[in-house]
Amino acid sequence: MTELARKVCMLGDFGVGKTSLVSRFVRNTFSDKYLTTVGVKVDSKHVALPDARTVKLVVWDIAGKSALDALNLNYLRGATGLMLVADGTREASLRATLNLLMQARDVLDDPAVVLVVNKLDLVERWQVAPATIAELRRTLPVVETSAQSGDGVEAAFAELARKLAA
Amino acid sequence: MNGFPASVERYLERVLIERARPLLLTFDGPWQLRAMVGDAARFGFDAAAPDVVVERLQDLFLGLPTGQMQDFPFVELAGGGNAHVHLVPDGELFHVLLLDAGEEHERTRAQQQLGNEAELASLEKSRALARLKEIRSELERQRAGLEEAHALKNALIATLSHDFRTPLTSIFGYLHLLERRAGGDAAEIDALHAIRRNATYLFALAENLLEYGRSEAGAPNERAASLINAERLDAPRLGADLDAMFRPLAQDKGIEFHLEPIVAPPAEALFDEVKLRQVLINLLSNAVRYTHHGEVRARIAWREQHLELEVRDTGIGISPEYRERVFKAFNRGAQSGSRGAGLGLSIVKRLVEQMHGTLDLESTPGAGSCFRVRVPALERPGANLPAAPAGDYENVRRAAPSAVVVDDDPDIAGLLEVLLADLGCRVRAFDDANAAIEHVRAEPPDVLLIDVELPGLSGNAAVYRLRSQGYKGRIVTLSATATDDARRAAIAAGADHYLTKPLNIEQFLRTMRATIA
Repeated sequence: MTELARKVCMLGDFGVGKTSLVSRFVRNTFSDKYLTTVGVKVDSKHVALPDARTVKLVVWDIAGKSALDALNLNYLRGATGLMLVADGTREASLRATLNLLMQARDVLDDPAVVLVVNKLDLVERWQVAPATIAELRRTLPVVETSAQSGDGVEAAFAELARKLAA
Repeated sequence: MNGFPASVERYLERVLIERARPLLLTFDGPWQLRAMVGDAARFGFDAAAPDVVVERLQDLFLGLPTGQMQDFPFVELAGGGNAHVHLVPDGELFHVLLLDAGEEHERTRAQQQLGNEAELASLEKSRALARLKEIRSELERQRAGLEEAHALKNALIATLSHDFRTPLTSIFGYLHLLERRAGGDAAEIDALHAIRRNATYLFALAENLLEYGRSEAGAPNERAASLINAERLDAPRLGADLDAMFRPLAQDKGIEFHLEPIVAPPAEALFDEVKLRQVLINLLSNAVRYTHHGEVRARIAWREQHLELEVRDTGIGISPEYRERVFKAFNRGAQSGSRGAGLGLSIVKRLVEQMHGTLDLESTPGAGSCFRVRVPALERPGANLPAAPAGDYENVRRAAPSAVVVDDDPDIAGLLEVLLADLGCRVRAFDDANAAIEHVRAEPPDVLLIDVELPGLSGNAAVYRLRSQGYKGRIVTLSATATDDARRAAIAAGADHYLTKPLNIEQFLRTMRATIA
């Protein structure tokens, strides 16, 4: 039986926690230290689907930027899923993420998308209002996550895997 | 081909290969590895496990055709290596070429890290500044609220001040009349003394609170603006009043009360008797309160151009660590078993400072305390009063001097009428400034007594208007506001004297006798 595998790209402004989310998802680790990503990091993990199948998510953790240049667009090629990541403590990062989605849709054919609003552990400092997230949920699956504690991380990737396998 | 000499081309090939350390993997069909050339370990691959190598490379090109050139720079591979990854189609075959990007990756990351951290720090700084602005706005709001509360408190204190003093003027005034007219009935005299003693005590307590309120109400320079009334001190009378107030209290507690023979100051030495009385009442109240056996001893003496007040007791005393604290307001914990508001000594200190005096404390816990106050004589006020402006009024000196009283409080007006009548004056009383002005213009009196706090036209405005119209008679202003500012305002308006409520009857009578003489 052919293995189901999908390329997923992590998109978001720098410092929103994309690499931390992947580390938590793939290796269940977390580091407080901020280490910028250059280019792309590729990891993979099998995710069990509700129907007992599994899907291998090949996760491309692309260096964070508020807008995609030609290099980043090149990384997107072949992807069928996007994990959009915003930092709840920086409302501007949410706008940047939505901008990245619009750019990505120019090069990808109807990708599966999940929006993650990260840093739930710092919720007291969040600038993103609950009403904003409620509004976004009308068009996108949105999961509040904390890469630090792991809250919502599995659920976010599981949701994306489910959409990719559908 | 490129024009380079063959030797240079060979050199370049060698240098680039040395620096790029390429790993070349050749595949045919669906990812069937045919050959692997180069250092696989540098890129985190185990050459002995080609299946794993193939799987990782497959992941990289997932979803992409192998028949097209592909180029992914700066790929951090799952095994930890950093490479520029290229897929090169070659007929039925394709090659995957990995070029080492380790050093370039680290260099780029260091630069990018600095830039990103600087931007994040800038965001944090902006956020902190915004928070500071919020805090500042909040503080401004709170300050405005406090200022409003402060203004309300000041207004309350001003109102209380007036409301305390006005009825006390009536009490003391009518008490004076009753004492003058009392017969020889000892019980009646005792009753009147009791009323005076307690009214005086009440007055002192009220003054304590008002003094405290004044001290809290304004800026430091305003706090010192409480009015000093320079007048001749009736030291024997003061001593007698204190003796009458505190001897019964001491007797009730089973302690002795001694007032040493008074050494009165000369007549020309002036003091603020109300403040001195308040100082002594506060010191004696404390002494009697905190002495459970033994004695309380008081001394009033003129010595070396100063008035010395001393209150000594054999009470519980004050520990050295509490010496400073007892002079702070609401220090109820400073003396064990203390009762009361804890204002007395703080007021004493403040009053003594207002009179430019000194205050010393000696105390031994368990043996007693001694408070010593030294105050210099005050300067005589009103030496440079402004002359009344010239006008058309002709003051006609009559055999019986005429007086006009203006006060909206009928009790005060009635009291002043009686006191002036006792001095031989013909008196007309008014409760309204405008009516009084009309009367004064028609029949200028020898003396005008007018309250400042009148409804409608204020006393100061009425005085100013009369002076501007040429009234040359004497004007005495009465007010419940005992501040220098209030005195200056009244004098500037044209008054000759400024007396404060509650009226010191003796001072009032002296002033009026001098005025109508």
